[in-house]
Amino acid sequence: MTTTLFRASTRQRTALLSIVVVALLGLVLAIPGGRGNAASLQQNGMVCQSNAGNTFSLDAVAGYISTPDGNSIYAWGYTGSGQQFQLPGPVLCVASGARVTVVLHNRLPEPVSLTFPGQSDVTADGLPAEPQLDPGGNLVSLTPAAPATSGTVTYAFTAGTPGTYLYESGTDVTKQRQMGLYGALVVRPAADAGKANDRADSAFDTGREFLLVLSEIDPALHSAVERRRAFDYRTVKARYFLINGRSMPDTLAPNFASWLPSQPYGALVHLEPFQPGDRPALIRYLNAGSVNYPFHPHGNNETVITRDGAPMVDTAGQDASFEKFLIDVGPGQSVDTLNRWQQEYQDIPGKQIPADIALPQLQDQIVGPGTETWFSENPYLGGKPGALPPGIVQNNECGEYYHVAHSHALDQATNYGASFGGMMTLIRIDPRGGCPTP
Amino acid sequence: MDQRQGALHQVTRRGLLLGAAGTAAYALWPGSRAGARPVTALRVAPVASASSMHLAATDGWVSMAANAPHTSFWPDTLAPSPYDMYVFGFRDVTGLDAAGVTAQRGLAQISAPILAFDEYDAAKNNDVRLTLSNLGLSVRPDLVDGHTIHWHGFVNAIPLFDGVPELSISVPIGRQFTYYYRPHDPGTYMYHCHFEDVEHVQMGMTGVIYVRPRQNGTNPGSAVPAGHQLRYAYNDGDGSTQYDREYSFMLSEVWAEAHYRDAHIQTTDWTDYAPSFWLLNGRSYPDTVVGNGNPLSGVAAPASGLGWPGGQERLRYQPISSLIQANSGERVLLRLANLGYQNHVMTCDQIPLTTVAKDSVRLVNAGGVTHYLSGDSAEIGPGESRDVIFTAPAVTVPTTFLLYDRSYGYLNNGGGTEPGGQLTQIRVHPSGTLPVQPIDAPNS
Repeated sequence: MTTTLFRASTRQRTALLSIVVVALLGLVLAIPGGRGNAASLQQNGMVCQSNAGNTFSLDAVAGYISTPDGNSIYAWGYTGSGQQFQLPGPVLCVASGARVTVVLHNRLPEPVSLTFPGQSDVTADGLPAEPQLDPGGNLVSLTPAAPATSGTVTYAFTAGTPGTYLYESGTDVTKQRQMGLYGALVVRPAADAGKANDRADSAFDTGREFLLVLSEIDPALHSAVERRRAFDYRTVKARYFLINGRSMPDTLAPNFASWLPSQPYGALVHLEPFQPGDRPALIRYLNAGSVNYPFHPHGNNETVITRDGAPMVDTAGQDASFEKFLIDVGPGQSVDTLNRWQQEYQDIPGKQIPADIALPQLQDQIVGPGTETWFSENPYLGGKPGALPPGIVQNNECGEYYHVAHSHALDQATNYGASFGGMMTLIRIDPRGGCPTP
Repeated sequence: MDQRQGALHQVTRRGLLLGAAGTAAYALWPGSRAGARPVTALRVAPVASASSMHLAATDGWVSMAANAPHTSFWPDTLAPSPYDMYVFGFRDVTGLDAAGVTAQRGLAQISAPILAFDEYDAAKNNDVRLTLSNLGLSVRPDLVDGHTIHWHGFVNAIPLFDGVPELSISVPIGRQFTYYYRPHDPGTYMYHCHFEDVEHVQMGMTGVIYVRPRQNGTNPGSAVPAGHQLRYAYNDGDGSTQYDREYSFMLSEVWAEAHYRDAHIQTTDWTDYAPSFWLLNGRSYPDTVVGNGNPLSGVAAPASGLGWPGGQERLRYQPISSLIQANSGERVLLRLANLGYQNHVMTCDQIPLTTVAKDSVRLVNAGGVTHYLSGDSAEIGPGESRDVIFTAPAVTVPTTFLLYDRSYGYLNNGGGTEPGGQLTQIRVHPSGTLPVQPIDAPNS
């Protein structure tokens, strides 16, 4: 419901102002979080951590994330060793078949571990990574854990088939998954990192590769853990729904946004109209939560090509990929899709909207609602933006299009119940060649 | 509430006239626009075949299953008899004049009208225009909510016609806007308001929309035997999606507490979502098997056309039936769309179900090999659609089967012990019993 009082979000406006400020001062501001490598300059798209030795060192640490409604929530997460807390953990990128080493340093007050679903020959400190039983035969951890506070375990595995996977804690999983101990492992084809899987038709535009890690948070649980109080896990009730650790509209902010120091990864899907000869964009959906997230990208179907590292082929090995307008991602599952964003009205002369259809005058439309819009007040891609009513912030730069992409369990598309939030991001479609530089 | 009762009175008078004198009287009703299609008012509940439609968005009152236990939130104490729950919804006002459209304020229906269009054909010049009028909320004049139409799943939508307010525009109270589409892709879709979607969708602004393929009327490869209709869900090229009768189902849930709060000027934390009713086409069992109705009819049984569903005024604004009927040997298409926030698994005992499409895309691989899914159920998540075909089994006497949500926790009304929720009947008759289903009359 909308009352005559606008539900203006001061924080939202501040964030947008900050984008401008960062854009102006970006060159002189220090990169936050000590992530001073080349990747930190990547404003948009998936940010990979990779190295020739396929060796990574992660710390399990505590920190705080912020939500668009101004809440600050205690959380746990994996981060690069010696670096500050972040959610989700760093994106580890490796080649299929590679032997990968991950050293875990536990700085949390209880044992923490790492599991690598979908990978093979997993070892912990050189021994097979088996479930841990106490002397009474009770399962205490899905895999060997690093002791509390200062423990270390060295895990190794052979990277599986190309695709998108989770790494996550296998200890006290009901609590630790909720608290944020998860991250993405991206396995690329050994022969060609420009393909999503081993099939030739999975080649994608490496400049347009996006990862959407989906999860949710019950702030009451997090608060109980922070205060070291008991919590009845039967009462878990998610209030925040995240993509890459952020909720809408924070999902739109660039990677490494300074005002989100613990949530370094944006989720804006940035495209241009697809033309024959182009490679499509690749979108990797990964569910780190414990319920289904029925994710709906507006405007065009996406083509599902890989699930859980398995390419979509039939028993004869023939392409069995399929189009969907709703990407349903179950707990722990991944779905990789190709997005070929098609221009509208391809068979309409001049691609003109018929003359009897008019954009209403400003007084005959609601802009927003609220204090901002992404609509250029011009129906055409790249069209000259039209006037706005006084007091409305225009987020549109050059007549580019925006489509929303969100969970269609619409209670998940909210921030603690407030709509146009939660598990939601935007697909931005620029005119071919991108917006002109101002 | 005085204002609303006045509106009811007004419509009732006109509806009575309609019922008494039929379409001719409607065309002559003072103020009706010359050239407007007079059949609209008496159309078999749901369907639209013209390529231009006019929908109105407003609020109103409906009735949930009478066998549900009473709670603090249901039946709503504000509800005028014989209704019991507050909703938002769309109404088909195609062909009505301005006064007629305005008179529908406060008279929303759930589910929204089923909309059916033919695939684009340059020779027919049948682009789709959906005009939306926002009539405001009669019970909540303090709210200034806009409304939109989002054709969920439409490929190649541009933002202006995609209906997401923040990324395009929404329609203010007292205004209208026309959405424009070129329907290239046959299949089963859904539409809903995207303004503050978690609320407006839950409040009832949801409906099925589908596009019929150009293959209709042809018999590719002579695959369809004599005696069957040349109707198809998709351009399959081999007749494999042929059907004789079709039934659309909007699957949704109702959280009665949120509906009560909206009527009583309270706010809702949508993350507390805990539905109390599970609906097919805006009704739960046993109301699902009651027949179609016409919201414009003021009487139980007019001399011609449709009146209240099953003669029950309480279902007047829930006009779409979910009762499935077929003759032995006929192929029946179920168009399923889920705009609830939970997964549902529609199951049928004794009759195999074949899923031929998901999300309006036929299940076929790049080499043209079909991958239809056979089983006794069809799982459908929030925001998804399924096209499911079954063949009515051979019977010598009329025989009833059940189609229901296998999530048994959803097979009740308001937590009661009697069967309810997303359950309906399939009534199979001996061959030749039922006449041909008109192509413009799904769910009949």
